Amino acid sequence: MSDPILSVESVHVSYGRVNAVRDVSIEVPEGGLVALVGANGAGKSSVLGAVCGLVRPKSGAVRLDGKDITRWPTHRRVGAGLVLVPEGRQILGTLTVAENLRLGAHRRRRSAASESEMYELFPVLAERRSLPASALSGGEQQMLAIARAMIARPRVVLLDEPSMGLAPKMVDEVFSVIEKIRSTGVTVVLVEQNARRALRAADTGYVLETGEIAHSGPASELLEHPRVVEAYLGVE
Amino acid sequence: MLQQLANGVFAGSIYALFAIGFTLVFGILRHLNLAHAAIFTGGAFVGIELATRFDVPIWLLFPIVAGAGALAGVLLERTAFRPLSGRDDEHFAGLISSVAFGGLLIALLHARYGTEPQSFPSSYFPNRLYEIAGLRVTLMQLVTLGLALVLMLGLAWLVSKTPLGRAMRAVAENPTAAKVVGVNVTRVTAGTYALSSALGSVAGVLLALNLGQANRGLGASIELIGFAVIILGGLGSLWGAMAAGLILGLAEALTVTYFDSTWRGMVAFALLFAVLVIRPKGLFGHVKVREV
Repeated sequence: MSDPILSVESVHVSYGRVNAVRDVSIEVPEGGLVALVGANGAGKSSVLGAVCGLVRPKSGAVRLDGKDITRWPTHRRVGAGLVLVPEGRQILGTLTVAENLRLGAHRRRRSAASESEMYELFPVLAERRSLPASALSGGEQQMLAIARAMIARPRVVLLDEPSMGLAPKMVDEVFSVIEKIRSTGVTVVLVEQNARRALRAADTGYVLETGEIAHSGPASELLEHPRVVEAYLGVE
Repeated sequence: MLQQLANGVFAGSIYALFAIGFTLVFGILRHLNLAHAAIFTGGAFVGIELATRFDVPIWLLFPIVAGAGALAGVLLERTAFRPLSGRDDEHFAGLISSVAFGGLLIALLHARYGTEPQSFPSSYFPNRLYEIAGLRVTLMQLVTLGLALVLMLGLAWLVSKTPLGRAMRAVAENPTAAKVVGVNVTRVTAGTYALSSALGSVAGVLLALNLGQANRGLGASIELIGFAVIILGGLGSLWGAMAAGLILGLAEALTVTYFDSTWRGMVAFALLFAVLVIRPKGLFGHVKVREV
């Protein structure tokens, strides 16, 4: 197997005295889709926080292309092509749709995709480009958050709970967008509570339980794994 | 009467320029920077020093003072605010440490210049008087008004139209979201202080040029008026600070006309009191920096 594009090496994250993440290691192969699933509070977002630099791990390392980026500030990681689509979308509601997109292109001015490319990919945004982003529906805001990440032409996209709070039809749409991103060769790390959905889309999966990796392996195997089925997938 | 109003506009443009820098920092970073008046005073002294010792012509004076102000602003952010960021009481602690920074700056001015007012050379700026539509205005007043307007409109343009302004508005709304999309929040913060302090120091040198001199109490004299302007305009509102600065200048001028100049000092606070009672958000309280 070739070297992973992104790797998390025995990372520990704690908030005060609370250990949120203990000894988590993850390898993300280039072009792959890795799902990180687990219950609420299992530490999924903390792992992503460490990966994108919003949280400083207590120990362990994060590598991009083998380079140690553990101490890089977030904007530098974005510049290197590691972009987060945060939980709860975090779009800037007082800025217009177009301004949100331009903000996404901010770090990679030269290599950034054009706004019009994003409007082709997300036609719903084109119609609303001069509205304040707060005027969009939840699903549209999620599309904007994804478009805002994609306009930077990332090499790795981290999606934190992209289907949260969305109507089933929008969830389908989000997953089809994820497939589309993937088909362009961009590596995807997907954090989801919707474990079945995420594992079906992924090649590799990691299951987090109370801050530790409880299971990992090919997504298709995890989907059959009795413990995983019992705890996260239930009976369909 | 009209003459008084014209004078009010000139004074008001300095108030507005002082206030807009202060309100910029609050609007974007939620910091109350109480060193702003000291930076204002510092700008005046830097200007006098440049004019008396280095014969710097006036057209070069403003950019140099602005540059010195920007540097002071970066230093202020670095020493008084950044070390506190992330603490639970960061805003209150920053307010206190900015008072300390301002006090230090004034003490340094005191050490260097003593208590005597420092003056511009008497021939530094042509004392020309114009008659426009029956109004007597000095060239200095015209320069003051012109420069203040250009700087304030320039700031509004920068905030609403440029990539830096977009990043500033993103930080104002949600610093974490701004970080996630790749905004260098540290740099935007420093840039905000640099801009704010550049404007404050230019306002200071403008007031000193109009008075012909400055002492270390220059900032204290405008500080409370400036804060009244900011609250009148709505904290964080750039247009509000501009409008309120002019309104206050006019109100002062009218008071002097109809009552007596001893009442002048009360105007700012009477207006402030009235606004707080009637419309606590300020005249433009809903229009925040990010909507400029």
